[in-house]
Amino acid sequence: MPSAEPVWDDGRLAAWLSEAAGAPVAILARARLSGGAIQQNIALSVTRGGVAEEWVLRTDNAATLAVSLGRGAEFALLRAAHAAGVVVAEPLFGCEDRGVIGAPFFIMRRVSGSAAGHAAAKRAAAMGGDAALAGEHGRQIARIHRIRPPRSDLAFLSEPPADATAAFIARMRGRLDEAGTPRPPLEYGLRMMERQAPAPLPPVLCHNDFRTGNTMQHAGRITAVLDWEFAAWGDPHEDLGWFTARCWRFGQNHLEAGGIGPMDAFLAGYAAEAGWQPDPGRVRFWQLGATIRWAVIAADQAARHLSGQEPSLELALTGHMVPELEWDVLNQAEALHAGKA
Amino acid sequence: MLEKPDPKNLLETARALLLESLLPALPESARLEARMVASAMAIAARGIGAADAAPEPELAAAIRAGALDDDPGLLPRLRQRARERLAVSNPRAL
Repeated sequence: MPSAEPVWDDGRLAAWLSEAAGAPVAILARARLSGGAIQQNIALSVTRGGVAEEWVLRTDNAATLAVSLGRGAEFALLRAAHAAGVVVAEPLFGCEDRGVIGAPFFIMRRVSGSAAGHAAAKRAAAMGGDAALAGEHGRQIARIHRIRPPRSDLAFLSEPPADATAAFIARMRGRLDEAGTPRPPLEYGLRMMERQAPAPLPPVLCHNDFRTGNTMQHAGRITAVLDWEFAAWGDPHEDLGWFTARCWRFGQNHLEAGGIGPMDAFLAGYAAEAGWQPDPGRVRFWQLGATIRWAVIAADQAARHLSGQEPSLELALTGHMVPELEWDVLNQAEALHAGKA
Repeated sequence: MLEKPDPKNLLETARALLLESLLPALPESARLEARMVASAMAIAARGIGAADAAPEPELAAAIRAGALDDDPGLLPRLRQRARERLAVSNPRAL
């Protein structure tokens, strides 16, 4: 993995930041934080008007997934979420000008904590499940879902779908066709969703990757909801299904809510914040959708390895998760069918 | 006739050495990758000699079109194929 330290002129960056902050900004130190396949994060220790602050600069890697949003969009989403009361790293300044560091970037305040799915699930399981933490996850999702269309600041998002289920099925079939590998179990799951589709609900902002491991936690509390690049308008139950799907329980299958706590505590947290009760049947429906979507993504990741463009054992092994996900899809689709029969 | 031990035996023997002798001697930062190597070797060993069924584009298309909605043989057929795939990729999930 080439770990190229980003090269840019700190003087130019400091000048831009001073302008944006309306006060002189000096960069004292920078350090590369976790870099993903899509973006990288750089810790900046600065003084703003002489006062020390800890920031994070987030920017794109060269190879950006076409299905994810860019940094400018992510900055707008963070601002909307922050304004809606979601716990996020406070977004400070966004820059679309490639002349400053070579790519668009934004600055957010640095938050303490760690975002490690397996560690969080293990910790919660050791205490017999963390109902409070599960409820807090529900409350955070409910706050995200308060963001509803139309929103001129989020105009980069695709039009809200008239029917989120139909849109989801069409999108997944399109990706399967594009990948070119016939996958009868996933087709079976999608067809079952089509046959059992619930009536559409008014669309809300869905995070679309809200899972254990994408919330930063410190001492059992959420300190930031991360990774907004898949956000889109959809059915609120999509996020609830993604969080609770078996494939995102990090080995703690009995803790339905993300491997950290019981489903009822999670949904109660959501309901308390949202003011309405999610439908458990619709949550199960979207757990099936979540499993199908993760299988499609996992197969695409293996294809990146197989194409020779990005040889990676991690991507290769992700492909071998697909049969387990397909097995899970068959079980869930059968249960969905039986439940309605 | 190929010389023994066969590829499956070699992979299993090498994997045991990796997990039992090498892994404990590795620094913490390299252990996740070593475990990934062990996983890949296990999948490869299980895959040796496994029959690779042909892809089923017609079946996928028929399911999507709804032509098999009332076919009681469909789910058992899908499960059978899924079991064969899991036997190589992750038999513990069965």
